[in-house]
Formats: sequence, structure tokens, C-alpha cells
Amino acid sequence: MKVLRLKFEKNEIIKKNTAVEICFKCSTCSKFCPITQNVNKYNLEDSFVTQLFEAEKPEALNDVWMCCACEKCVITCPQDTNPTEAFTNLKEKSYQEGHAPNIVYRLVDQLLQEGTVYSIKFTNTARKRAGLQEIAKNEKSVCEINILAEKTGLKRREGQK
Amino acid sequence: MIASYLFFKGCTIPASLPNVEKLAREILPEIGINLVESDEFTCCPDPIRLQGASQYFWMASAARNIAIAEEKKLNIMTLCNGCENTLAIVNYKLRKNSELKRRVNEVLKEIGREFKGTIKVRHFLQILKEDIGLNNLKKMIKNPLTGLKVAGHPGCHLLMPNDILKFDNPVDPEFYDQFIAALGATPVDYLTKSDCCGVSLSLAGDQEASNRCIQNKLIDIQLSGARFISTACPACFNQFDFGQIIAARDYPQLQEKPIPVLYAIELLALAMGRSFDDIGYNLHRIKIPVEEMV
Repeated sequence: MKVLRLKFEKNEIIKKNTAVEICFKCSTCSKFCPITQNVNKYNLEDSFVTQLFEAEKPEALNDVWMCCACEKCVITCPQDTNPTEAFTNLKEKSYQEGHAPNIVYRLVDQLLQEGTVYSIKFTNTARKRAGLQEIAKNEKSVCEINILAEKTGLKRREGQK
Repeated sequence: MIASYLFFKGCTIPASLPNVEKLAREILPEIGINLVESDEFTCCPDPIRLQGASQYFWMASAARNIAIAEEKKLNIMTLCNGCENTLAIVNYKLRKNSELKRRVNEVLKEIGREFKGTIKVRHFLQILKEDIGLNNLKKMIKNPLTGLKVAGHPGCHLLMPNDILKFDNPVDPEFYDQFIAALGATPVDYLTKSDCCGVSLSLAGDQEASNRCIQNKLIDIQLSGARFISTACPACFNQFDFGQIIAARDYPQLQEKPIPVLYAIELLALAMGRSFDDIGYNLHRIKIPVEEMV
């Protein structure tokens, strides 16, 4: 059996997830992973987990954003590794380096503009139809999360404040 | 006995399932849940994409939401699995890890807030389980849903991480079926009950994989004999409702026997004497005439 090696910046990923190093590529997690089960290019021999961990630049692969953090891999791993946490760290790196899908940058922009990930205009159209009171932007809350974004170093797309 | 909770509506329910928000306000007080409103909350933020953008920002924003509830000395009630997942994980991690708490409070101080770790964050199904109890719920039911065969889908983010949420067995979940039974309906077991609905696959751009994923569950549910699906997660709801129509383009079998989905609050409202018209069934994308279904 081949031992899974992290080709790309192995030390950086392992520093955050020491448990990943003991993955022995048994594919147990892949049998339950919705990505390996349903995405055509993946199979048990060449699973999502394997491809991602063995890629030269896993953070540049759009597929890392397919992980929905359902944690089926965490439940089933016989070695008690935490692949979900590793994927979240890879997503973070992907976002910071500008490789994340556009929708993620748009979500961040929308959140920082109105405090919610759906536009208030769209939300209110649906609410009117259901006979519900419209919602309004809470300026103070939006101001507060913008401060949090700045202080935590949340990166924005170029051209955004 | 009436208990008060701070109502965390989230983003998806007010925008995409406003009838569910409306029903929650109407129905939950009838079973002893008093909802206190706040317009200070922002997005939870979501555990899949916004956590991926920056874990520090994700944690600080969630801690800000929790701090608002702490200032009001109220426990939070969520309606959505995603909101519950984020807020419960952050609440747990900051309580357990003093270094993390210090880092988060460092930025919260800039906006005059502080995370203390004094409140609970729970999904309304957790409140049904832990505070109200299904035996008491049964006594409050006005219109038992006798003969209604329902396949429950608890959704991944209410089941895992189990050491934090402690809600149900993540491999073979039971509570959702017990909830369906408490309403007088018949819970129907099926093989892929704890499987993912696949919504994140389409969000990441692979519609074909998303269709295959939801199809696996829908065929299982068709075979089980259930006439309705029920879930308590808005992302899963949309995948079962609109996603089923999209998946039916690839899988004609889904067109032959579409299965409507009911949000847990809608199912509860039916059992509390509301009609299908009252619960906003007409706003669903899959709305098989009820006479054919019951």
C-alpha cells in the first residue's frame, strides 16, 4: 500500500493538521465522501482526498470548495485524522491567494455591504410575496463586521475597500 | 411553560423560505417557545465558504453574534443547520480554548463587545428534544398527521461534529424520525438517510455531480414508499425542492414520481392544525396536489 505524501508545502499543511501525516490511504473516507461518490473523475483508487493531498498546488484546484464539511471522513477515518479541517485550511489558502471561485469573493463583498449574504432588495421581494415585513440594513452591525474584517485581516478582492 | 429564546433567523430563511420564518413566529409560541427578535445579528457566517475565506474572521463574526445574545442574557434558537453548526462550534471552541478566546476578544474589543461563553446556541429541533420533549409535544398536537408517510433528512451540519452538537447518532440518526412520529405521521426509513444532499457540489460548479448525489437519495426515498421528504436545513430544502427539478433533466425517473419536501416547521404547523395553503405550500417548486399525496 502506497503511503500518502503531501507534495506541496507539506510542512505548512502538517503544521496545522499534524494528524494528516498518519493517513495511510486506506480509502475508507472516500467510500463515504459525497465528492468521490459523485464527481466523475474521482474513484476509490484516485479519490478526492488523494488527488487533493497529492496535487502540486491543491489550493489552486476549484474542487477544494466542493467540500461541504459534512465530516463523513472524520467519522470514518480509522486513523483519527481530520481531513475536513485540512480542507478548510486549504480553502483559506486558496481564498487568500486569489484562487477561490468568484462566488466566494462576491459573498464576502455582499456580507460586508449589507450584513447578510443575500441582497436585501432580493430578500424583500420574497418577503413581500409571503406577506412578511421588509428588512432594513442595520448600519451599526455592518460597520462592526467591517471593523472585524479589517482587524482579522480578511482579504478583499482587488478594487474593494 | 413558556421559555424565551433569541431568534437567529440567518440569511437563507428570510430570503429564500420566508414562509418558514413566518410560521416559526406563529407556531413555536403554541408549543412553549417564545421568540425574542433582534435586528443586530449579521450572517452566522456559513461554515462551508465563509469559514474557508478566513477562519479568524468567521470565528470573530460568529462570536459577535453570540455576544449580542449574551448581552441580552438569552439563549439563541436557530432554524437552520448551517447557522447552528457555525454558532455552536464557535461557542464550544472559544469556551474550551482560552488562547483562541483571547484572540477573538482582542478584535471584539474594537467594537465594544466581548465573548464570555455564558449562553447556549441550539437548533429548534434540539430545543424540542432537550427542553420540550417529544412526549410533551405529542400532547400539544391538534391534528395528528395520520397516514402521512415522511422520509426525514436531518442534514449533515446538525449531526457533525457530534462531540460538539451531541444531537444524534451521525451514522444512523433517529431523532428526526421520532419527531415525525410525534406529529402522528409515519417515518419511513431509507438507506441514504444520513448522506449529504449534494448542494455544495453545484455551488462549486459541478451540477452533474450534484444531480447524481440528490438522485441517489431521491430514488431511495421513492423506493421507501414515502410521499414527502422533510428536513430542517434551508440549503438541503432547496436542493430537494428546486434541485430535484434540475436533477430530473438528467434522471427521467425523478420526473415520473416527484416527491415534495416540507420544512420541519411546516410539518409541525400541519400537525398544529394549519392547512397546506396556510403553510405556504404554493411557494414550493414541487407542489404535487395534496389530495394525491395523503
